[in-house]
Amino acid sequence: MSSSWETIIGLETHVQLRTKSKMFCGCATAFGAPPNTQVCPVCLGLPGALPMPNGAAIGLAVRAALALGCTVHPKSVFARKNYFYPDLPKGYQISQFDQPLATNGTLSFLAPERGIVTAGVVRLHLEEDAGKSIHDRFPKATAVDLNRSGVPLIEIVGGPDLRSPAEARAYLQTLKQLLEYIGISDCDMEKGSLRVDANVSVRRAGETALNTRTEVKNINSFAFVEKALTVERDRQIALIESGGAVTQQTMLYDSKENAVRPQRSKEESHDYRYFPEPDLPPLVLTPEFVAEQQSALPELPAAKRDRFVATYALSREHATVVTSNRAVADYYENVVRAGAEPQAAANWVMTEALADAKDHQEQLRVAPGALAQIVALVKGGTLSHQAAKKVFGEVAAKGGEPRTIAEALGLIQVADSNVVAGWVTDVLGAHASEVGRYKSGETKLMAFFVGQVMRASKGKADPKLAQRVLEEKLTAS
Amino acid sequence: MSDAKAVADRLVKAKRLNALLTPPKDLRKSLAIQEAAARPTGVLYGMPVAVKDNICTLEFTTTCGSRILEGYRSPYEATAVAKLKTAGALIAGKTNCDEFAMGSSTEHSAYGRVLHPLDKARVPGGSSGGSAALVAAGAVPAALGSETGGSVRQPAAFCGVVGIKPTYGRVSRYGLVAFGSSLDQIGVFGRSVHDAARVLSVISGRDPRDSTCEDRDPLRLPTVPESLQGFVIGLPKEYFPPELDPAVRRACDRAVRLMKELGAAVREVSLPHTPYAVPTYYVIAPAEASSNLARYDCVRYGPRFDGRVDLRGLYRSTRGQGFGPEVRRRILVGTYVLSAGYYDAYYKRAQQMRALIAQDFRNAFDRGVDLLFTPTVPSPAFKAGEKLSDPIAMYMSDIFTVTANLAGLPAMSLPIGRIKGLPLGGQLVGQAFLEDEMIEAAYALERVVPATDEA
Amino acid sequence: MSVSREEVLRIAQLAELDVEKEALPELVDNMSRIIDYVAQLSAVPANGTVKVFVPGPDAIRFRADEVTPAHLAFGPAEFAPDFKEGFFVVPKLGQFE
Repeated sequence: MSSSWETIIGLETHVQLRTKSKMFCGCATAFGAPPNTQVCPVCLGLPGALPMPNGAAIGLAVRAALALGCTVHPKSVFARKNYFYPDLPKGYQISQFDQPLATNGTLSFLAPERGIVTAGVVRLHLEEDAGKSIHDRFPKATAVDLNRSGVPLIEIVGGPDLRSPAEARAYLQTLKQLLEYIGISDCDMEKGSLRVDANVSVRRAGETALNTRTEVKNINSFAFVEKALTVERDRQIALIESGGAVTQQTMLYDSKENAVRPQRSKEESHDYRYFPEPDLPPLVLTPEFVAEQQSALPELPAAKRDRFVATYALSREHATVVTSNRAVADYYENVVRAGAEPQAAANWVMTEALADAKDHQEQLRVAPGALAQIVALVKGGTLSHQAAKKVFGEVAAKGGEPRTIAEALGLIQVADSNVVAGWVTDVLGAHASEVGRYKSGETKLMAFFVGQVMRASKGKADPKLAQRVLEEKLTAS
Repeated sequence: MSDAKAVADRLVKAKRLNALLTPPKDLRKSLAIQEAAARPTGVLYGMPVAVKDNICTLEFTTTCGSRILEGYRSPYEATAVAKLKTAGALIAGKTNCDEFAMGSSTEHSAYGRVLHPLDKARVPGGSSGGSAALVAAGAVPAALGSETGGSVRQPAAFCGVVGIKPTYGRVSRYGLVAFGSSLDQIGVFGRSVHDAARVLSVISGRDPRDSTCEDRDPLRLPTVPESLQGFVIGLPKEYFPPELDPAVRRACDRAVRLMKELGAAVREVSLPHTPYAVPTYYVIAPAEASSNLARYDCVRYGPRFDGRVDLRGLYRSTRGQGFGPEVRRRILVGTYVLSAGYYDAYYKRAQQMRALIAQDFRNAFDRGVDLLFTPTVPSPAFKAGEKLSDPIAMYMSDIFTVTANLAGLPAMSLPIGRIKGLPLGGQLVGQAFLEDEMIEAAYALERVVPATDEA
Repeated sequence: MSVSREEVLRIAQLAELDVEKEALPELVDNMSRIIDYVAQLSAVPANGTVKVFVPGPDAIRFRADEVTPAHLAFGPAEFAPDFKEGFFVVPKLGQFE
């Protein structure tokens, strides 16, 4: 049914900034402390307490804005968003409203169906987090923990530029990668440091106006992004096809049921009565401050990918994989700097190094210099590819120098043609009938002979050399 | 030099005024402890200073005159209070006030009205009426109050004491329970200009906990001048309307004549947007208050009223019963003017009008005027109950004081005479952060004005 | 009346305030008078030429990112109306869920 329908999705992403202390007070932001132990008059909303903004949080927010190509405004204004909720201590959230920190950026990402898509970033603003309400701790009561209250967040409001749930997922993946890259957040959805709400609407293919949208909340994990949006899209399409109409409301995603249900709330709770926060003067950013944040930014993933294609002659796909993570990209470059051939280094990083990291708490265990040596040993014919993998595993597990390990394991290939010729003679002598068939034209038996030589040499023969010697002997006699 | 027992005795003696919310027993006990701990080297060593109940103290409860904070003890103290203690002062109990500082008569306290020290049928003014009454009764030489629209100057005028509201940003608001954040400032009462000024000097200065507090050194006290030679005093004509009480006018005329005799030049000025000051104030202050008072939700502190089963019901009953009628009214007005569809018509307009009012002052000062002189209040202390049924009539008693809050300027009231035995106040308004000039002029005027004579 | 009974009730809900039935007529009257009174502000030119005024410093000062929690003389257990096992406890959310 979805072929005649177009889905319009815009994501609002909340990202916790990587700071030691909270947005407006000196309390720690560390995750996992006992409840209500990282609190003070400010984040408890005690009478008379006042906010004092964290310069580092502002700096990180500016970095995010610059990385997304936003216009960073020299003057922005904090505003109060007023609503009642037990984990919102002051009865308002300090956020930004009509004068946000930054506007008008973009994020390019690889969409599964449409290729490279450039999605708009409408705005990026700073705000403080609320605390946590726990509904299953006590019977008939709600428990409130305010450790998270006041933790610094940015909200990134994306434009309605995504056209499918899979695209939304790809966008979010790219956004996460970018923010991790620039080091402003750990973007851990499970810890709540990355949260996403989605605005979803559908329209018949060919229509240009936007229809009524809903907001999907409670998407708690990366794995649910696509599922939740698919469920909501299908719900809206089914609703319209059966003659109904979408109403503007908030839908909560239930991952257990893989279903959405409307949030029960009164409309008036959406009258947030924003007004400028009188406890905080305007947020004025000097050009020097913004320049400082700009210079603190590393090379961004897209630029790095292009550079890898140009400098190392990698394919776009390989460059994308190698630059998907800043640590991996740095690792790759160090392997190349240590002398490895760029394409071979990329192959090793993409396969062995990443697979090993996956099994070992995301640690790149083989030092770049060691991997470069392994790559060189293979290229020089000293190690077979299979043997090199073994050496890689040993170095990863125990450390040490690849050549020494290869020798100790007896994996060094024999490149002495006299020695190899001895094995060849033995093999040809033992397989007279195959020799006959080869000579009468069945040349595909060469692989069989090479295999036999490898077997006779217990894997030590350089297979290329073995083949050459075999060819010589088989044509000579 | 100090004597905790004597201090406590004087305060307990003034009990009939209902100006002090701290029970005598708690007061005596705490004063003895404080005296033992006070630093003898402090410039205010042994000086008892009573503190308005909307300023957080560790020694005593902080209820803001409200049931919603009944019995509330703050786990931290206001910066101003900490500075007083560092200077050796004794925190001499908490003073009664209009609930959350909303009122002009101290009748809107959940803990009963404060009596005027000279006429118990009258109000002491408000909202810092308890502080003003205690200083006027001689129970303490100085007290802290707070201002949002005149809550120090107006009761100072009614009670015949000195009241100073500093420039917005001169004194940290950290620990002052917020009412209208962009208007609020802690102010001081004193028996004399000097008592008030030296307390102000101690509590002023930078504070890393208040973003709106200016990064400036504490106020330096001026010396008492020989004359007012070189001072240009402006008389804004809007503050002397034809219908002004003749006795108030006479008292002001006398004060002006005395300042001229001291060498001051006097000229008439105009602050044309003055008529809009009270409506501007009664949009901005309630709007900010409606948000500032949202935190009283009985989740983290404060008593709960009516144990209804669901949270929203508990919110509504606690806030409905915990706040008094004036506070409820202002929360509703503030919520209304910020709500969807009304923001531009009310709040935004008020913010713009505020700019015009501030510009009026700048224009006057740009034309060479150093200070403005006006009556503090259009009339002397009114009778209790007289304005309770008419909120707007009550609001009008702030008409000469709210402008300084809107413009963020320093202003003070000092006694300039009496009418039928009731004190009248004269107001000086200074330029931002030039409290020293304002206090200098007040010193000079204080020495010559017959403050207790009929005008 | 410039403010209706319904509007007062709607605003009271937004502000989470119970309004007693008996008090409602007077409240509607008071609020209407106050709103009428402040309506004088329409004297401000609506063309947007007037900038708003905010007292205090022109710009935010930045705090250093250091863990320096303000001291609490005593913990939440001492001032909270209901505090259990380290949590503030409130009745079920009801309509909020």
